[in-house]
Amino acid sequence: MRLGAGFKKVLVVTAAVLLGAGGWLLGNCGPFTDVAADVFCPFVLEIFYLGITTGTTATTYDPSGNVTRLQMAAFLSRSVDGVLKRGSRRAAGEQFWTTGNETVLGVTTLPFGANLVKSDGADLWVANSSRATVTRVRASDGKILETWTGATSAFGVLSAIGSIFSTGRTNPGAVYRIDPSQPAGVVTTVASSVGVNTGGIAFDGARIWTANSNSVSIVTPGASTPWSVTTVTAGFAGPNGAIFDGGNIWVTDGDTIKKLDSSGAILLTVTSSATEPMFPAYDGSNIWVPNFIGGTVDVIRASSGARLATLTSNGLFGAISASFDGQRVVVTDQANGGVSLWKAADLSPIGFFSTGAGSNPYGAASDGLNFWLTLQGTNGVTSALARF
Amino acid sequence: MKGKAVLRIRAILFLFGAVLLSGSTGLLSALCGPFTDVSDAAFCPFVLEIFYLGITTGTTATTYDPTGNVTRLQMAAFLSRTVDGALKRGGRRASLDQFWTTQNATVLGVTTVGNDPELLASDGADVWVACSGNSLVARVRSSDGRLLETWTGAISAHDVLSAMGRVIVTGYTSPGQLYQIDPTQAAGAVTTVASNLGNRPDGIVFDGTRVWTANILGGSVSIVTPGPSLPWTVTTVTAGFTSPMGAVFDGANVWVTDYNAGKLFKLDGSGSILQTVTVDGLAANPVFDGSNIWVPCGGNSSVFVVRASSGAILATLIENGLNDSIGAAFDGQRVLVTNLGGDSVSLWKAADLTAIGTFATGTGSAPVGAASDGVNFWVALSGTAKLARF
Repeated sequence: MRLGAGFKKVLVVTAAVLLGAGGWLLGNCGPFTDVAADVFCPFVLEIFYLGITTGTTATTYDPSGNVTRLQMAAFLSRSVDGVLKRGSRRAAGEQFWTTGNETVLGVTTLPFGANLVKSDGADLWVANSSRATVTRVRASDGKILETWTGATSAFGVLSAIGSIFSTGRTNPGAVYRIDPSQPAGVVTTVASSVGVNTGGIAFDGARIWTANSNSVSIVTPGASTPWSVTTVTAGFAGPNGAIFDGGNIWVTDGDTIKKLDSSGAILLTVTSSATEPMFPAYDGSNIWVPNFIGGTVDVIRASSGARLATLTSNGLFGAISASFDGQRVVVTDQANGGVSLWKAADLSPIGFFSTGAGSNPYGAASDGLNFWLTLQGTNGVTSALARF
Repeated sequence: MKGKAVLRIRAILFLFGAVLLSGSTGLLSALCGPFTDVSDAAFCPFVLEIFYLGITTGTTATTYDPTGNVTRLQMAAFLSRTVDGALKRGGRRASLDQFWTTQNATVLGVTTVGNDPELLASDGADVWVACSGNSLVARVRSSDGRLLETWTGAISAHDVLSAMGRVIVTGYTSPGQLYQIDPTQAAGAVTTVASNLGNRPDGIVFDGTRVWTANILGGSVSIVTPGPSLPWTVTTVTAGFTSPMGAVFDGANVWVTDYNAGKLFKLDGSGSILQTVTVDGLAANPVFDGSNIWVPCGGNSSVFVVRASSGAILATLIENGLNDSIGAAFDGQRVLVTNLGGDSVSLWKAADLTAIGTFATGTGSAPVGAASDGVNFWVALSGTAKLARF
């Protein structure tokens, strides 16, 4: 019995060696004959199994060789890619696919008028200007859970402070608050003296910032409503989107993106490659700015404001919203009825994917597992939230 | 005079000691944390980061040798530790303070589902389990293990896919069935979306556009194209297949295992075989970890690790409690394989293929399918009609 079991084991190991698999011959480390089976071997094997190194040949690793900066770039790049790919929620969910076309989008039908969308980690919240509502959709199955009312001209969405905030694209502008722990009802207006036509919304850890058609407003949460509002107009043409990079708020404005200090003064102005930059995404290093007129995407290094690249084509024509899921950036293209996708780490295009004729994709968000797109539609009756 | 000098030396030693003991940033000039030879203030934070993360230990306790070159061997250690650290810290398990490995059957979280739970999938919030004994699909909430819903009418329900905002289930019949659940609706009977798959569909996978099933009886692969109306279009391919069982998508290609032939096939978009990898017999349900495909093989109780980009066999894992291995799952760091014959699961660290151990799931539990939601593994215990949180 024991003999039999041992015999089987030898057979398996032999087969493995013949196949070029992990060999355990004396003085060997996996496929590498020049790496000793010592304390360093597991490290070499790990980067081999992960595809970070392929060895200098199929059977050698050249352990004492030096590494040039060029080679180092390949090793680091593969390490980062491997970590992000394995560590994402998509990997654990065995979700290595990219949604191929509009037929296989998971679609939740909403009333006409859907604008921007945000995830709270479990649910998606969609602002609807026509119905003055904010809709809560469960990410796991796409079910509509709640509809909150009274959000006149609801446009942008923010999940912060354990609450959901929406901007009201009114004159003057408004900020609405939802306590998601309460039964759905009427939103609470926490500020009604925000700059005109409030659009994008962002949080800096203490205060809420809104991008308005001629200004930026800073809203300070307080114990009682209304919350205090400071509106800054100096230097702004027509802000659309707002984003926080961990240090500063940036707003898209006219044909620029502007970095602001904590009082809303402009620290840096970066000229866009095209006109009408819309709703950007920050990927932890860089800011992705979709330009509506001209259909380009500018990638701006947040730390310096340098424009790293201007992305064109990949189906782009009228770019609206960008979103980052940890590995990829999606940009909605309203004019061409689809989304463009890039690998965020090296800015390489993944492709353009149709969301259907007349779908009118607008907002984008990620919950780490899927992208979520608002499809405004064109029939005047229904919009949709699509899982991509 | 002599006393003063000694005192000064003691004071200096004390300062060095304090820095070393606390591991904090040194404030003395030309000091960077514990390292006395790192003087460039701009680079010091990088050196400290990889020291605090355990990526480097320095050349000695007080030196880093900043101008020294790195050999490829040393680099392997630095990169390997970097990857490990990033995965460990970045996982959902870390932010939930869940660094343990479930050790035995007593501390499994169990939910009673239907009879003969087979394979399963997570939708990110809930786990869906096919229970062939009652022809039902159970929905269990991951956060608390509560049985939320039971969907009926899934004759011989076998494997589960969460995609397109829906739950798709194979029916292990001849010809094969494909069922759909709209999880936004109240629980009821499943909808049959195709009833002309190859015989006895087992594994199921999605490629971003189409659903693929591996059909074990008679040997075929069915490619199902979702459409607005029912039934969905089915194309069934038989060439080269003996008994396909499991299926996996690596981001570019679908791969299927062939149970009796002991093969792993890489397929093109039309189901033709592009590459054949010979594994062991009873090749069951594989899993992809982002780089490699893990194939549990019941015949010799082995797990083959195959590089997806080349089809090369990287390793054949044996021992670690493997016993009639059938299911596999990846959680971002670890691969779990179920041992149907051993009433246990085997775990490996996915990055370097080192064994973590074998853990009992209970006498007579007969574990089959496994899935991960990024926080826990979930294992279908076919012998006791339970879903276990591992």
